[in-house]
Amino acid sequence: MAGILEPFLEDVVRALEPNYKFYEIILIDDGSSDSTPAVVEQLLKRFQRVRYLRLSRHFGSEVAISAGLDSSIGDFTVVASPESDPCGMIPDLVTAVRRSGGILTGVTTGRKNRSLPARLAASAFHTYCRRYLGLDFKENSTDFRVLSRQAVNAITQIKDRRRHLRLFTNTVGYDLQYFEYTPIQRSGASTRTGFFKEANQAIDLVIASSPHPLRFASRLGLIASMLNAFYIAYIVGVYLFKAHVAEGWVTTSMSISVMFFFLFVLLAILCEYVGRLLEEVQGRPLYFIGQEKNSSVLLEHQVKGNVVNVSTERV
Amino acid sequence: MSASSPSSPSSSWDAIVVGGGFFGASIALLLREQGLSVLVVERGKELMTRASYNNQARVHGGYHYPRSLMTAIRSRINFPRFAAEYATCIHSDFEKYYAVGKTGSKVSARQFVSFMQRIGAPLDKPPAHITKLFNPNLIEAVFTAREYAFDATKLAALTACRLHEAKVPVWFETEADAVRRAPSGRLALDLHQKGSRETQEPRWVFNCTYSQINRINVNSCLPIVPLRHELTELALVEPPPVLANVGITVMCGPFFSLMPFPARRLHTLSHVRYTPHCAWADESDSPYTPPFERFDGMEKKTAFHYMVRDSMRLMPCLSECVYKDSLWEVKTTLPLSDTDDGRPILFRPSEELPGLVHVMGGKIDNIYDLPQELEALINR
Repeated sequence: MAGILEPFLEDVVRALEPNYKFYEIILIDDGSSDSTPAVVEQLLKRFQRVRYLRLSRHFGSEVAISAGLDSSIGDFTVVASPESDPCGMIPDLVTAVRRSGGILTGVTTGRKNRSLPARLAASAFHTYCRRYLGLDFKENSTDFRVLSRQAVNAITQIKDRRRHLRLFTNTVGYDLQYFEYTPIQRSGASTRTGFFKEANQAIDLVIASSPHPLRFASRLGLIASMLNAFYIAYIVGVYLFKAHVAEGWVTTSMSISVMFFFLFVLLAILCEYVGRLLEEVQGRPLYFIGQEKNSSVLLEHQVKGNVVNVSTERV
Repeated sequence: MSASSPSSPSSSWDAIVVGGGFFGASIALLLREQGLSVLVVERGKELMTRASYNNQARVHGGYHYPRSLMTAIRSRINFPRFAAEYATCIHSDFEKYYAVGKTGSKVSARQFVSFMQRIGAPLDKPPAHITKLFNPNLIEAVFTAREYAFDATKLAALTACRLHEAKVPVWFETEADAVRRAPSGRLALDLHQKGSRETQEPRWVFNCTYSQINRINVNSCLPIVPLRHELTELALVEPPPVLANVGITVMCGPFFSLMPFPARRLHTLSHVRYTPHCAWADESDSPYTPPFERFDGMEKKTAFHYMVRDSMRLMPCLSECVYKDSLWEVKTTLPLSDTDDGRPILFRPSEELPGLVHVMGGKIDNIYDLPQELEALINR
């Protein structure tokens, strides 16, 4: 991994140096265990305007990206992975974001060769997100993205413990666009994620983005309690109108179904409150301001002339 | 200001102070008080034009060194003395706030408070209109402190006046090149001034040339003092109106400081990450270039944009700072400051050449640590 840093920095500098007067490259080391610190030490002597942030241990790429966003100071921030992202595209992408003022997210063109169940699961996930959560996680989207300062400011205000840049870029609003690119391979190893890892990510994303599954559970609870209510009516009916009822059946059935009735009602109520708690605990800002403008009517247009048409005796 | 010419009779001085910065001039005055005849030689055309001028102009109240108890306590003790002695040069009419950063800070708000209690530095709750200027996501706490700034121009004028009253001559545009033992047993100090050269034979030579200390050592074939240098930039800015009469320092990591700079009626904006542009060290195993020579040859491209961008994260209103100018200087520290952030004075009588003393002050208000050392040395 350490070996790809030099070609990566060369690529980045080649893209930035002719185009920008001010820029900074922040390298986030997510607690690497190889020779990265020593290699970076040497690179810092060669390349200007590079900052190296080494996290105290391995926190995962989402946290590493957050650390970088927290500390970035530019008008535009590019999130790129040294392993696979083609940095030659950066100037064009930044120009696009300069126009839109929002976020530009990379989508890989190379299709992942997934198995059929994995493909089905993925399409189910994306449909669910679109239909019920109002979120469109583009398929094959990556963390290679360009963000405007406004978008970075908004994202750094989100204090969720579990970081999902994909989700945050979706929820903060601002103009969200996609661009296609073909990943390059600076290191030999390909980074293929397994089915279960992706499934876990999907669950994480859904849970983090909305209490919608809880609402589903609470409805399920209500339906179950309704069924129990019908069953209670059935038991009463059997007790009243049937001649031979096995001894103990009525009381046993009654106690079970009454219990379940209350249990599911309680569960439904709890689900709703847990959902509220979740939203409050996340403490996300209610909204982000996209733009503010004020009226700019010129005074000359309003005051047509210092002449009055009427004169009254009394003021 | 009286400036005699280098044609005065040689070997008439008890002590020659090399370097007319604040420390050099102050040492000259202290030596004069001891009854010695003293000469100051200065490379520039005026006193105190280099590091004594090109700095944050902060009179330290001890707040700045929450990780070095020694430096903090000495600052605390020296603060009222300095403020009283140089009252005419002190700018005290501004509000001073210290903020503690959340991520990346080497000190927490609680540590900061307890440390300041320990050294007796007052901290108060700041007014709400100040607190709300900071980004609460990145700033843990804000405190009102009591700290002053000095007017470097006034301080230079006062120092010149004192030297004049004490009858200490200053030779301007005079550089000291090398020092060695003279046959008479005194020291021989080679001076040059616009092409003319001469040698003086004082008993004592005080090398107060800050970053240039090793220049004399190298020329004299003496071992060098290990020093670290940085090319530093302080941006001179017009602060946003709300901070016109306010100084802000964020502790204790890669953060910024905005201090009034009375000599120019502006503020200096400095940033721990962007103020140093490059660094090098005086080491015995590499060829020596005098720091001033390196300084003159270095490209000086302002990093104001980086400073203000990063500071805006902590304090959004700083986006209104208007850049005016930059103060560039070589900042010199002792290698031991790298770890504990302290700023001790270097006071080092040369072992190889008794009579030669290297003095390097880290901060202007450290001056009161000197008299004892000097007295002990002279009367030994």
